[in-house]
Amino acid sequence: MAILEMQHISKAFGGVIALSDVHLTVEAGEIHALLGENGAGKSTLMNILTGVITTDSGEILFDGKSYPNPTIAMMERAGIAFVHQEVNVVNDLAVFENIFLNRELKTKVGLLNRRRMIEEASGLFTRLGVDIDPCAMVSELKTSQKQLLEISRALHASAKLLILDEPTTALSTQEVEHLFGILRKLKTQGHSFIFISHKMPEIFEIADRYTVLRNGTFISTGFIKDTTPHQIASDMVGEQYLDKDYYVPRQLGETIVELRNVTGHGFSDVSLEIKKGEIIAFTGLAGCGASEIMQTMFGVLPFEGGSIRVEGKSLRGSIPHFMKSRIAMLPSNRKENSVVPDMNILENTCIAEHTLSKNRQMISGKQELSRYEDLKKLLWIKSESPKNSILSLSGGNQQKVFLARWLNTKADVLLLDNPTQGVDVGAKAEIYRLILEFASRGMTVIINTLEIPEIKKVSDRCVVFFEGHVAKIFQHDEINEHDVMLYSTNAINTRGGANHAG
Amino acid sequence: MRANKGGFAGIGSFIAKAWKRYSFIFVFAIVLLVYSFTIEANGNTFKWGHITAILASQNTVIVGTMALGMALVIITGQIDLSVGSALVLCSGVSIMAFNMTNSVIITLLAAVAAGALCGLINGVLAGYAKMPPFIVTLGTMLIYRSLMLSVVREIDPAITGSSSSQFALLSENSAYDFLRMKFGTGSVPGVSIPYITFVFVAAMLIILLISRRTKYGKSVYAVGSNEKAAFLAGVNVQGVKVSVFVITGILVGIAAFVQACKIGNVTPASSGKSYEMYAIAAVVLGGVSMSGGKGNLLGVFFGALSYTTINFIIVSIPALTTDIQDTFQGLVLIAVILVQTVGPVIKERFIEARKRRASRKQARIERAESRG
Repeated sequence: MAILEMQHISKAFGGVIALSDVHLTVEAGEIHALLGENGAGKSTLMNILTGVITTDSGEILFDGKSYPNPTIAMMERAGIAFVHQEVNVVNDLAVFENIFLNRELKTKVGLLNRRRMIEEASGLFTRLGVDIDPCAMVSELKTSQKQLLEISRALHASAKLLILDEPTTALSTQEVEHLFGILRKLKTQGHSFIFISHKMPEIFEIADRYTVLRNGTFISTGFIKDTTPHQIASDMVGEQYLDKDYYVPRQLGETIVELRNVTGHGFSDVSLEIKKGEIIAFTGLAGCGASEIMQTMFGVLPFEGGSIRVEGKSLRGSIPHFMKSRIAMLPSNRKENSVVPDMNILENTCIAEHTLSKNRQMISGKQELSRYEDLKKLLWIKSESPKNSILSLSGGNQQKVFLARWLNTKADVLLLDNPTQGVDVGAKAEIYRLILEFASRGMTVIINTLEIPEIKKVSDRCVVFFEGHVAKIFQHDEINEHDVMLYSTNAINTRGGANHAG
Repeated sequence: MRANKGGFAGIGSFIAKAWKRYSFIFVFAIVLLVYSFTIEANGNTFKWGHITAILASQNTVIVGTMALGMALVIITGQIDLSVGSALVLCSGVSIMAFNMTNSVIITLLAAVAAGALCGLINGVLAGYAKMPPFIVTLGTMLIYRSLMLSVVREIDPAITGSSSSQFALLSENSAYDFLRMKFGTGSVPGVSIPYITFVFVAAMLIILLISRRTKYGKSVYAVGSNEKAAFLAGVNVQGVKVSVFVITGILVGIAAFVQACKIGNVTPASSGKSYEMYAIAAVVLGGVSMSGGKGNLLGVFFGALSYTTINFIIVSIPALTTDIQDTFQGLVLIAVILVQTVGPVIKERFIEARKRRASRKQARIERAESRG
């Protein structure tokens, strides 16, 4: 029997269609993998289900009841819980206080009944096989424990359907096994799960059925046992993109960027030599230090030891200093770090160039417009007028505007921190095509990303980071998802996985 | 017929667009219309003189000039509560400079330099030391005024030009006649527009140019709109934050010079009280968003005019005693902010509701079709 049926769900933000006629059916007591690339519409669909945003049209049937206009409180009461990727627990409270947050048990005189709450929490943990001290402060827990705490909290609130958004990203292999053990146990007790993950082996290990979304549309659904990872991957990315191989080996130039024993925030003793025209991918789990290294190479974060040299010149100082040496960085998290929401597309394009040309203060509208038109053509930006708000563009087109922002500074070295985050598949393919094109024109590109198949498509080398150190550097031909994962989780050193990596 | 209809729609959308971008002009026009009605209702005729009175008012020229700076500060997402007190400080300094030197240039420079220093102190504390601007300027608001209260008491009356509670321009000085009689209170013959109004207009044009046509101006908006993104694009965020306070200080200095020329004296205990609030009111009436990143400096100009006119309306209604006048000023201000903040929300709801209706209708049609 289906516990959840979502039918004909459509949603548009402004002019951008996020979901169009999407279906999702989850059976009682199953683990249902919701699959799709970033920007495929998974989060939007889940946000509609949990009442965070409203749907434009469609029907939601949960546990036999229809919810035409769900609100957050309504869906929580109905028994749906969202376990977010960024774990949502209150760090400054004790474990048991988190479990009873907003549902505190009280004594007869209205004071908190700490003893009963602690007892109940510890009973809950024993039942689930979770090893956490109910009285510990949440800030002292490991990420994996926080995740289990959040799941426990949802179950304590008698959740029937739990949405797990990439629950294994920050977990070690053993922790993942532990989590899966708990999920299997809960499944037999009748709980259902929507499991969002990008890691194919995990999905094939834990999920019963799957649904694939692509570009906001419903692609396929079925039993995991009836399909193959390759089939799902091609459903997710679309055949035409999967089959295209843009990569061509290029003649590389002299060393342009040189890191020597650089130590900074969250990483230490990193040494790298990057050649002119090279495309290098940084990868690793969240918190591995790759993003921090990138930010240090752009002057966002200071560094304590070692040296960063660009074309032989030692660099140190603030962002404009690095910009003058023709380095550019497209930061991660577009909305927070790139979008200037009150400015139009043209202004958003020119803002970084203004930093370099600030000795000439007056703006030449004509000149800026013609440069924008050139960049628009080069990057295939789809926009009606440069005077329109940046927010009128889709995620992919916004990202292209920010690429334009940095190309406009005539940079030689382009640092791209998670550039395809929240970008639809088509625009993503275009961004990778552009990266290759920049490199063939002699630009040096460094990409920090977790999407290993895409690393394989563009990069000459792939640097895997683990806990702030370079764990391994793969040449283009050696890059494969399995080995990269082994090094980024450090499984290579924990389970004698060296045999697998070759 | 059809073409005609299209023409109407074109005009309609043109007005809608103009209303959205230049709402402050419409607001001023409406306020002015109401003012003319109240004057007629009092049995007088609405004359050019009423308009020049608006242009000459303290609330237009003095508060308006300060409001231009306040707008820049607010656009960067900060606030400056010290402008009223800084006005007193600059006026005092400027009057003392005049009494000692009898030089118009030095009088002006003293006011501007004092203002820039006041602004720099605010800016360094708020921008570099990263203290909350609200608290920093609350502190300097108290400091700047109380400094002048003690200075006026301690210093030789030959320099302050008056008693122990007031600074005044010495009328014995030879430049007094030019400064006060010609510039401060005089007006262009024929059209009778006060000279001091041109100072305000010139300040507005310069600030408007900076905000629209310079890279610095764009960075001011960028910092207020998304500080992190501006920083990552290489904008010197701290520098911008400090600079808007310094610009405000300079404008306060100019306003103080004008104030000294117009009134001839300044009383630290009472002059310029609540002017920071009036300046904020003018900024808000001009359509600048209090959350930063958005706003047109031309709007601030009209905001100042609207604010003055609203005051004139309230004063001209005989039923409102002086005691209750502030209540009405407050109500008007709240009403304007209400329209600014609630307006878009209502619009959003309206659009959402219309969309839902449309999609439900569509679904009904589809169901009917699939049945039939």
